[in-house]
Amino acid sequence: MADLSALQQAVIKGDRANAVKLTQEAVNAKVSPKEILDQGLVAGMAVVGARFKKNEVFVPEVLIAARAMKEAMGVLEPVLAKAGIKPAHTAVIGTVQGDLHDIGKNLVAMMWKGANFGVIDLGTNVPPEKFVEAAKQHQANVVGLSALLTTTMPAMKKTVEAIKAANLPGVKILVGGAPITQAFANEVGADGFAPDAATAVDVAKKVLAA
Amino acid sequence: MRQSIFLELAAQGARLPIGTDMVLREQPQPEAVAEDGQQLGQVVVAAARRYRSPLAIPLMDLTLEKAWILAMLGIAPQERETYQFHQPPGPQALETIRKKLADPLPTRSQATFDAVAYVAGQTDLTPLGMAIGPFSLLTKMMPDPISAIYMAGMGAGPDDEVEVKTALELRTIALEVVLASLQRQIAAGAKAIIVCEPAANITFFSPNQLQAGSDVFERFVMQPARQIKQLLDQHGVQLFLHDCGELMDPMVTQLASLQPAVLSLGSSRRLWEDAQLVPKDVVLFGNLPSKQFYSDELTPPENVQGLIRELTARMRQTGHPFILGSECDVLSVEGCHEKIKGKVELMLNGKAPFQPLHTG
Repeated sequence: MADLSALQQAVIKGDRANAVKLTQEAVNAKVSPKEILDQGLVAGMAVVGARFKKNEVFVPEVLIAARAMKEAMGVLEPVLAKAGIKPAHTAVIGTVQGDLHDIGKNLVAMMWKGANFGVIDLGTNVPPEKFVEAAKQHQANVVGLSALLTTTMPAMKKTVEAIKAANLPGVKILVGGAPITQAFANEVGADGFAPDAATAVDVAKKVLAA
Repeated sequence: MRQSIFLELAAQGARLPIGTDMVLREQPQPEAVAEDGQQLGQVVVAAARRYRSPLAIPLMDLTLEKAWILAMLGIAPQERETYQFHQPPGPQALETIRKKLADPLPTRSQATFDAVAYVAGQTDLTPLGMAIGPFSLLTKMMPDPISAIYMAGMGAGPDDEVEVKTALELRTIALEVVLASLQRQIAAGAKAIIVCEPAANITFFSPNQLQAGSDVFERFVMQPARQIKQLLDQHGVQLFLHDCGELMDPMVTQLASLQPAVLSLGSSRRLWEDAQLVPKDVVLFGNLPSKQFYSDELTPPENVQGLIRELTARMRQTGHPFILGSECDVLSVEGCHEKIKGKVELMLNGKAPFQPLHTG
């Protein structure tokens, strides 16, 4: 009998081996892949995200939990694909050109994956045209731009301008990173601002619903 | 150089922004200047003159040691910035690095060391050196250092997790190269060296894990840092330890236990509370929120003087030696340079004129 609450706990604890084993057991037991995803993996990451917001756990625990989810997804993804189940939203994310920092970007990517977004991670030092190209190619609903350095904020502005100029219907642009503020987000014309990784899911859902 | 020099500077009410980048970016061709020791030295001197400082503070370029390591390992220049080790580099890499440490340096590293020599040989300023700390260097060389460190903190060893093995091997390489960088800067005439460990913080080390008794901070940050301190002590060079990351109190206590001449902390810390954690002969430095100076919304100019007044008054109350400074390197931001420059100028209001130091 598949134990989705144990799977949820394995994700929360970042126990990769158990997360994979329990996912495989659930798949073998013919539990619906959507149920495994929602009640096991996503539910586990939701708990981690909530604890992160409350400062009960920190970045390392979030990353370890996300790794457990990622490995379990390795088992689940073929089953989801076979059942025709797709992520609720597609997001493209990257750190803007000139900036090599990736912790914040990785955290947001993991939070989004944990909330069942399909995430295309472009990495760091991403030029504006690459964001545009990826948003087109993957028909993204959300594009997330990250910057840690004050010196790369102008690159964020250029990237927002490039995405807007490409006139991609329905694409929402979210910005975040240590030096970024709501005022800066407004100034550059972003659709949303996530002050931290913990709120990135809520902000994305809010702008998508708007 | 005597450690007491910094205590004397603190007693004089010194104000010392770290902001050589601001002067560099005003040059017609900053990238070319950064690759020429004499011109870079002149920029360092110009920054000290602008800030009326007896200390010549280099650029806080924390990419140099990584580029040097990768150059020694034969990685092409255009790949060095983004290169990461996805597997343990192996003992051969360490051996190669040890053999090549005396070889010619990448241009920018050589220019940085030549700039120290320029200041030492041509000016009345006290030359400081600059290096990234071994732990922060390690984090720049692997794709997910945080998970590796966390797993090491859970007790995983090199045979359990390949990422732990990668982190441990990179720790050894990083320390080796940082020590070599320090030796070169000492040879060039540095009297004190700013060692930057901004990654030694709660993003990379879980407070939960440390509170549960893990020694991972000790193994990855403190042990290498003690070797750095030992090297500097052997040469009579002072340690100016910089960590602008978000820290737990025990991290501050541990960093202070190294007995640096100066401990420079980021604006997330309340220095007047940290004064209780730090020995009285360790000067606290910082920690105006200079990373926010680009924004008048985050730091209105009229608030800068207020922040200075509050910080200096609170530090005076503690009786702890303190030098007012920026929380980190003040970086020029395109479109905001003059705004930032103006706020740095506010830090200098009322500052006494430059006096050369007698470093002894």
